[in-house]
Amino acid sequence: MNVALEVDRTRATRRTVRHALGRAIRLREVQLLVAIGVVVAASTAAQPAFIQPGNISFMLADASATAILSIGQTVVVLARGIDLSVAPILGIAAVLVAFPAQDLNMPIIAGLGIVLAVGLVLGAANGLLVSVARIPPIIATLATLSVYGGLQFILAKGEEISNIPNAYGNLGNNDIVSGIPWVLLITAVLAIVVAFLLRSTNVGRSIYAVGNDAAAAHRSGIPVQRIIFLTYVISGVLAGIGGFIYLCHVGSVDSTTGSDSNVNLLSIAATLIGGTALTGGRGGVFGSVLGAVFLSVALTAMVFARIPSIWEPAGVGVLMLLAMLSDRRAGAPVRRARRRTAGSA
Amino acid sequence: MTTAAAPPARTHIPPQSDARGGSRARERNWILALVVLLVAEILYFSATVTGFFGGGTGMLALTEQFVDIGMLALGLSVVILAGEIDLSAGTMSSFSGILMAVLWRDGIEIWLAVVIALVASTLVGALNGLIITIFRVDSLLVTLAMQFILGSVATALSGGSPPYGFPSSFVTIAGTGSVGPIPYQLVVFGVFAFAIALLVGRTRTGRSIALIGFNRPAARWSGIRVDRTIVGAFMISAFMAGVGGILVSGFYNAARDDLGDSLLLPAITIVVLGGVDIFGGKGRIAGVIVATFVLGFLTEGMLVDGQSSLSATMVTGMLLIVSLALKITVDRRGGFDVRAALRQRVQRSARTEGAQ
Repeated sequence: MNVALEVDRTRATRRTVRHALGRAIRLREVQLLVAIGVVVAASTAAQPAFIQPGNISFMLADASATAILSIGQTVVVLARGIDLSVAPILGIAAVLVAFPAQDLNMPIIAGLGIVLAVGLVLGAANGLLVSVARIPPIIATLATLSVYGGLQFILAKGEEISNIPNAYGNLGNNDIVSGIPWVLLITAVLAIVVAFLLRSTNVGRSIYAVGNDAAAAHRSGIPVQRIIFLTYVISGVLAGIGGFIYLCHVGSVDSTTGSDSNVNLLSIAATLIGGTALTGGRGGVFGSVLGAVFLSVALTAMVFARIPSIWEPAGVGVLMLLAMLSDRRAGAPVRRARRRTAGSA
Repeated sequence: MTTAAAPPARTHIPPQSDARGGSRARERNWILALVVLLVAEILYFSATVTGFFGGGTGMLALTEQFVDIGMLALGLSVVILAGEIDLSAGTMSSFSGILMAVLWRDGIEIWLAVVIALVASTLVGALNGLIITIFRVDSLLVTLAMQFILGSVATALSGGSPPYGFPSSFVTIAGTGSVGPIPYQLVVFGVFAFAIALLVGRTRTGRSIALIGFNRPAARWSGIRVDRTIVGAFMISAFMAGVGGILVSGFYNAARDDLGDSLLLPAITIVVLGGVDIFGGKGRIAGVIVATFVLGFLTEGMLVDGQSSLSATMVTGMLLIVSLALKITVDRRGGFDVRAALRQRVQRSARTEGAQ
């Protein structure tokens, strides 16, 4: 009897282990790590230079701006929205820091203050349009995309600002240790902060709840529209920080920065590849960060494979499609509710 | 008993939740408002901007600058009516223009090249629709991915030096030629606009598309082949975007791989401004046609006035926001019917007083 029980228990343990393993394999984060590993291994096998610290540092730093934007994008998407205006927010933040940095040698901390304020204001404007004016998110942010884009053009005065003080460039391009750039640390900190917000605070749980079922969230006393407003503010602030990181990393900014390098679409692609569902309520920021890293690694691998850079956008598109098809729930059609969203009465 | 005692006025008020009540009339009113806006805009620019009116012909010639966007908008409105969205329309235009030009450079007769380019665009549109319906993924994402892919394909096709200098027979019709004072492009737009308006408003397919957008399960239960119709809608959108691309190439007498990028946002603006519900199911092509001219003349008026193209784009964005905010407010209030709104307000205050 005792023996039988013992056998039963080991069987159960084994089953639990197998179950946990199966769940881990299904986890998007794990899948992405494996995918990144495969791409790195394959590229290194073809060209050993791929694994050099310089290249790794380059790929990680390159992924950072996209990753920071996609963290914000994830928060918006979790509440079943979408933010198409992150590119010009990034651009405006970068422009507004670049001018005083160039002309007045402004310290970095003041620059951070500027980008936070810019992100706050522009994100809040998006939030107001969606949560107060009740304009559908795609349209509202598509419209602010062009409004902010025009604003960026006016603010940049059509110039390219490239005399950025060294302190900025050092932050953007130096490594903590060989292969790990400072900007990656900043990205990681932001990801952890937002992940904590999402997982362990009332606000975070409310964001998931709103994305899952806004009507139910409303009935259980969550201020739905205020939560939606907040997600756009968060996205705006992170896009502003993304602009700061971009400026530090690239060292110059002009009137079309952000919009010309497709960061908008990259942030959505990273979010989607990271396993966050467009239908809201499912996903998380670590997946999005890994998605951004994966995109960066895969695109660099394309360069190493001597594929002309004009195919880069196509690469992103194909990866997006593959991510969608591999996890159909992530790309499932958003049931765009005809019934008015809860809380409108 | 109590129902009989209720004041008769109450029966005139549509229930708060019924957004469909009188939607037909509301659509008509919206289009009417657009027409008024258009006339006001034309009068304003004619009076203040020299060279805008140009004895009427100048104004007609200006339409060449924006009917290509109208083409995209017409196609997009079909997809949006069905409750989907097509973000690949802009690069689809680039793709079709470049494909046509490259085929022509390789020695294919220009009109045959046009046909091939349009067929290719339509096939890509079918691919969009098939991916969306077979794998049940969101059209926003699929067409976003397709936008990336088509952009790359267009750039790759064009190579280092995109073709230019098409035969004059082509440039006349697809580009800058005109019949009397009316540009050929406007004629082409008119023909397609009429065709799409007929398709959406007067055919079985058109009604199916609107029903699919309005209530998909209902459409399925009433025997409509939902998936097939959606694929068709994406094919129409792709085809129209293809035509738009050909027209732009003809107008500039050159093909460029990035010519379509700037067409998407104004096209979506036109569709929404035209009164098509972004969630699908509601809207009329007549509104989209009027909106094409409203936005087109607004942009061109500003450009002729010497404003930068980016400030024109900014105005496009703001117009989009204002028109939608207005429309949503109006819809929530239950229409333009001021008297009904007043009555409702009086009733509500009466009700709250009664409750006290």
